[in-house]
Parts: sequence; C-alpha cells; structure tokens
Amino acid sequence: MLGKKKKIPKKFIIVGIIIIIIIIIIILSFSLKKDRKLNPVFSFVRDGVLSVEKVITYPFVFVKNKISDYNELKDIQKDNDILKTSIDRIDSVEAENVELRRQLEALKSELNIDYTLSDYDYLNATVISRNVGYWFNIITIDKGSYSGVEKDMVVINAKGLIGKVIRTTSFTSDVRLITTSDTNNKISVSISNGSDNLYGLINSFDYSDNYLEVEGISNTKNVSIGDRVYTSGLGGIFPSGILIGEVSDITTDSYDLAKLIKVSPSVDFNDINYVSVLKRKSAEDDN
Amino acid sequence: MIISIVYLVISLVLEVIMSNYFSSTLTNVSLFSTIYTIVGLAILYPYFNNDKKYYLLVVLCGIIFDMVYTSTFMFNLIVFFIVGILIKILYNVFPENIFMSNLISFISILIYHLICFILLNIFSGVSYDFMILVNIILGSIIMTIIYTTISYFIIKFIFNKFGIKYVK
Repeated sequence: MLGKKKKIPKKFIIVGIIIIIIIIIIILSFSLKKDRKLNPVFSFVRDGVLSVEKVITYPFVFVKNKISDYNELKDIQKDNDILKTSIDRIDSVEAENVELRRQLEALKSELNIDYTLSDYDYLNATVISRNVGYWFNIITIDKGSYSGVEKDMVVINAKGLIGKVIRTTSFTSDVRLITTSDTNNKISVSISNGSDNLYGLINSFDYSDNYLEVEGISNTKNVSIGDRVYTSGLGGIFPSGILIGEVSDITTDSYDLAKLIKVSPSVDFNDINYVSVLKRKSAEDDN
Repeated sequence: MIISIVYLVISLVLEVIMSNYFSSTLTNVSLFSTIYTIVGLAILYPYFNNDKKYYLLVVLCGIIFDMVYTSTFMFNLIVFFIVGILIKILYNVFPENIFMSNLISFISILIYHLICFILLNIFSGVSYDFMILVNIILGSIIMTIIYTTISYFIIKFIFNKFGIKYVK
C-alpha cells in the first residue's frame, strides 16, 4: 500500500479543468481588450527587442527599397511626360492656394476661431513590423511616446488614411489599420459630390471584396461612383479632409431609406513603408 | 539546446524580415507567408528527449510573440502551448522523416490559425469571415514546405556534425 500512488477523484479533475478554462477565458478577455495599457516591463522588452530587430532587418529593408526604386525608375519616362503637362498649371494653382489661405486666415480671425478641424502637425515614421501572425491587422512604427505619439492619433501616408494608434511604448507604436471590421471603430466621413458634402459613417470592412461600407446617407441624396470619400473631422479623433478612398458601388438598405455605399480604399495596405502620424492642433496648443 | 535557441531566434527574426518582403493583410494574403517560429518548433521536437525543456522553449516563443509582435497578454503563450502539445501527439503517431515533418508543420500552422480564428471571433469583438481563415491557410502552404524542407536538412546536418542525438 505504501508505494502505491494516490488516485485523484474524478470530480476534482473535472473541477480543476473547469477552473483552468475559466482562468483562460478571463486571461483572453483581458488580453484582447483594445484599450489595454502595456505595463513598463512589457514596453521595455518590446522596445529592446524591436530595436535589435530594426538593426538586423535594416540591410534587408535597404535591399527591398532599392529593388522597388529600380522598378519605379523603369516607369520614370512615362511619369515625366505626365508631370511635364501638369507642371504648367502649378503656378496658377499655387497662387490660388495662397489667396485661399489668406482668405481662410482672415475669416478665422474675423470669426475668432483659434483652430479648425483640418489643422494638424506631422510626425514621420517608418514601419518596422507588419501584421506578423496575420490576425491582429496592425503595423508597428518606429516612433513612440518619446516622440510625442499618443493613443488614438491618426496615421496616414501619401495616398490617404491608414489607421490610428492603439498602443505606444517609448520608442514604438502599434497602428490598427482601417481595414479592420471592428464595430467599435466607426469613422465619420464626408463624400464630396462636386457641390455638396454628404456625411456618413464607415460601419464595417468587407474582407472578401476589399471595401469599406459607409452608411447613414439618405437615399434622396446624390452620390456617384468615383466620388471621393474623406474624413469629416466629426467625432473628435480623425482630422477632416484625409482621403479614404473612392465610391465603388451604391446600393440601398432593406427599407429603401438610406444608401449603403462601398468605398475602395486609396491606400495599398500591402505596400506601406513610411507613414505620418497626425496630431490635431487644439486651441491650447496654439496658445 | 543552444542550437535550438539560435534556430528559434532566427525563425523569430525571419517573421519580421519576410513580412517586409511578402507583406500581406487580411484582405490580400501573400502566397509566401507562414509562421516561421511554429515551423521551427515542429522541426525541433524530434531532437528533444526532455519534454520539459521543449515546452519551456514553446512558452518562451509564445511570450516573445505576445510581447513583440501582437502586444497581447498570454494569448500566443496559450496558442503556442496547444500547438506544442499537438506537435508531440503528431510525432507519436507519424514516423519522423522529411515528408511527415512537412505534414506536421502544415498541420501545426493550420491549428495555430484555426485557434486564433476561433478565439478572436469570440473574445476580440471583431468578426472574421471563414474564407479569411481558408485564404490564410492556403497562403501558408508554399512557404511552410520551403522553410520546413530547408530547416529539416540544416538542423539534421548541424546536430550530426556536433554529434548530438538529442537535447537532454
């Protein structure tokens, strides 16, 4: 009897398994919470490892950039011809721009407005890691809280809106792409159809057909395929006037009251190397 | 053990390097993507005589994935651990050779994505279409086979060269 192992009763094993499952559920609910803050140890390790990785991957990124530069050079003659034709118009557009800016400043001082929804500062950053493990739809950039990046700041590139900052460490930030079908991540947009601006909300992203779905626009309003979609600046997070994409399809909802608009994003999310983080100016900043 | 650690560190760094060359998003899945660390763990298992040490490496890889790549807490640790157990079961069922290693690597990748798909749909508040899972798994086939085959021969060569049969 002495050398014999004690058998654990079945009911204890079942209770143990249930407790483990409950603990795992609690951990996962906490782990996948979007507004979870990173603790200092976590941030420190992450900064350290990503800095080392940045050094190791630099030669590979350099070679990749040289290859894409070479590919771009092949089309340079065609681009040059197009640019030559448009360069003639630049002087007049610039003069018009100066005049509009002067008028805007005059109107702002007349109305005693310290800032508008389109005033923001730029902070350039490089993408150091992208979408490893697929599912989280995030990219990591090499600027963090040390450079003034904060949660919810907007990230763009030359082609338009990319996403917003969801987490920062001292030297890195995670950016969630707008191509995430997150019901808590609605973006207020305006659709420019020539004379009018129509306002709606980006409701979801369709992964299979690669489009953003805009809702909340009355069926009586005119929207055409090809109209450009910008951020409206309403909602407090995204500044106004950032290009999101173009209208690619228009349908109506089941009650025939509102339009459901499909928008093709202007950004190629597979080709993001450099980005700008936008910091909206506030009246306090100016003061 | 040092060879295994070096190989896994290389696999972890490859995640970032290859994501720069074959970048992919949920909407545009690259045909040359895989989870190099999982493939690494699948290749290394036959060389471990000591399960405790193997699972220690599995847990460490999960923690690094959580901290560095996905900014999650214990999510990848749990998923990697489940995949680690699965790798052990598969090697107990199948013989160890190049074809079976490829099959086990692919099944491990499949299970990793399947668990992520299920857990994220339940806990993250983001709904992922089943076709995304199918696309990601199909997109993983080529690179999984390439990396498994290359790793299989290199690891075998190194262990033979140093006269190591198992990590004790």
